[in-house]
Amino acid sequence: MSALEIENIRKTYGAIETLKGIDISLDSGEFLVLLGSSGCGKSTLLNIIAGLAEASGGDVRIGGRSVLGVHPKDRDIAMVFQSYALYPNLSVRRNIGFGLEMRGVPTAEREKAVLETAKLLQIENLLDRKPGQLSGGQRQRVAIGRALVRKPQVFLFDEPLSNLDAKLRMEMRTELKRLHQMLGTTIVYVTHDQIEAMTLATRIAVMRNGRIEQLGTPEEVYDHPATLYVAGFVGSPPMNVLDGVATGEGLRLDGSDRLIALPVHFKNAVPSGKRVKIGIRPEALRLVEDDDRQPALKVAVEVVELTGPELVVTGRVGGQRVTACLPPRTKLAVGTTQAFAFDDDALHLFDAETELAFGR
Amino acid sequence: MSGTSMTTRAWLLLLPLLAVMVAVIGWPLADTVGLSFTDAKLVGTAGNFVGIDNYVKTISGSNFQRSLITTAEFAIISVFAEMVLGVLAALLLNQQFYGRTVLRGLMILPWALPTVVNATLWRLIYNPEYGALNAALTQIGLLDAYRSWLGEPGTALASLIVADCWKNFPLVALIALAALQAVPRDITAASLVDGAGPFSRFRFVILPYLAGPLMVALVLRTIEAFKVFDIIWVMTRGGPANSTRTLSILVYQEAFSFQRAGSGASLALIVTLLVAVLAAAYAALVRKTAGSNA
Repeated sequence: MSALEIENIRKTYGAIETLKGIDISLDSGEFLVLLGSSGCGKSTLLNIIAGLAEASGGDVRIGGRSVLGVHPKDRDIAMVFQSYALYPNLSVRRNIGFGLEMRGVPTAEREKAVLETAKLLQIENLLDRKPGQLSGGQRQRVAIGRALVRKPQVFLFDEPLSNLDAKLRMEMRTELKRLHQMLGTTIVYVTHDQIEAMTLATRIAVMRNGRIEQLGTPEEVYDHPATLYVAGFVGSPPMNVLDGVATGEGLRLDGSDRLIALPVHFKNAVPSGKRVKIGIRPEALRLVEDDDRQPALKVAVEVVELTGPELVVTGRVGGQRVTACLPPRTKLAVGTTQAFAFDDDALHLFDAETELAFGR
Repeated sequence: MSGTSMTTRAWLLLLPLLAVMVAVIGWPLADTVGLSFTDAKLVGTAGNFVGIDNYVKTISGSNFQRSLITTAEFAIISVFAEMVLGVLAALLLNQQFYGRTVLRGLMILPWALPTVVNATLWRLIYNPEYGALNAALTQIGLLDAYRSWLGEPGTALASLIVADCWKNFPLVALIALAALQAVPRDITAASLVDGAGPFSRFRFVILPYLAGPLMVALVLRTIEAFKVFDIIWVMTRGGPANSTRTLSILVYQEAFSFQRAGSGASLALIVTLLVAVLAAAYAALVRKTAGSNA
């Protein structure tokens, strides 16, 4: 049985439609990440699942039961907020146990559950402190503890790591992954950080303008982006997108007379004369000797940046910008023209008008 | 520039203001202190030095003690009622409903009225012959005959307190409303998900945010209520049978009606001291609130 079903959820504020029919079905134990830039509707969707906002249409079912009109406390959910949302005047112990206290769980039982959860999150030494005496990372652990202790059917996370610094964010990300693997909980997690999405999710829903652009596993979203938007949003540095046109012989890049052979699996999908966007991930490019035996881009190198683990090369092909990620010790001079090859599989093709990926 | 000459310069720049403060605050205060040790009348002789006689007589006198009790009654009851009404109004005005903005604006009105206008208004409402209160109460059957609300010692103070509450609860409501809007949305949402009902939510989630601002409002309003003069002067002049004679009214009567400047001054200084204690409490509170927010 699905732990969570979202069926044709709509939300309008006056004339503005922020959610335009969202459908997601989530199995028990799945980790769904709602990924998108701000204003895409991901937080609204989360609030609708939580019962903090009302849907204008559609249905939400948790454990098979429709929860529309059900009070948040009766939905069998717990939520972790970006701002932690701890009660500042209550101790960590009471913060974690607050949900149980409000549900009338006896003190002894509550104490036991709080202690167990605190141990799991390694914050048992902080139980008697107030939130104001904790660091950002500790507060986030308490907020997660407050959700975990209730053992709800679905956990909701609203950008929980955005207020943490980069190092702590990575630590907490790993921690969350560990918790999910250990407890097998069902999670819906909102973020605009594609790395968080890629690393944590069992499935990602990339959202844009109130719609789901693509719903799939991290591998699917990364390897086979369904739209140009998804291709550009997931991956860092973002996928190279080059304008071109499909001809009978292959792909011709704008501003360049060089042809790229059309991979076999696209042969029937792309009509000749069609304007296309050609997508190649920076990490799929490799430096080669210039010959015509393999598809290659001739790039005039403009900037070379060593980030440590890799060398990021930026240049131009016929006036269009291209980025490539190369091994760190690659010798490359600015001002030269270099050939960058890629595998057929690494080539993504999108319709220039609809921005949808061509099927394979 | 060296530290010493900086300090000198600072004092030089402060000097004009200090001079003004000495002239308008220091000198009258010193003069009042001097006056309080004499038996001076308001007009005529400068009076003779009588030591602490005035203070002894004042404090041991029944007028002072009775006025102190009346003032305390007025301050405690009206401020308590204002706090309760103010918080309830703020909670209501913090809800989403149609016409909220208009209602928020209207609520300020009683507070924005000059006290004299408010007092006159309530005198009309309490009027024993054609007052609205009498009319309303007899029409709904709660009252058999018209009463003189301000003319009976048993009801005069209570009537004043009602009038004062009506005027001043909007200030508390305003402060409470501002504090309510500072309660983070996420925390309210978290308490909803955690299953806190309206009372638990108020107690554990909202009250902590209200407590600081409300304490400030409480002390400020207590100081004001302790000094109350104008509303009482317009409505009852301390009567009937001195049942609404608060300390400020007593000071006025002593110094101006009975023209006993010396003993009036001593009384005024005692009131000042009492208010200063409240003000010190306020200052300590503000420091504490500022500290806890840091």
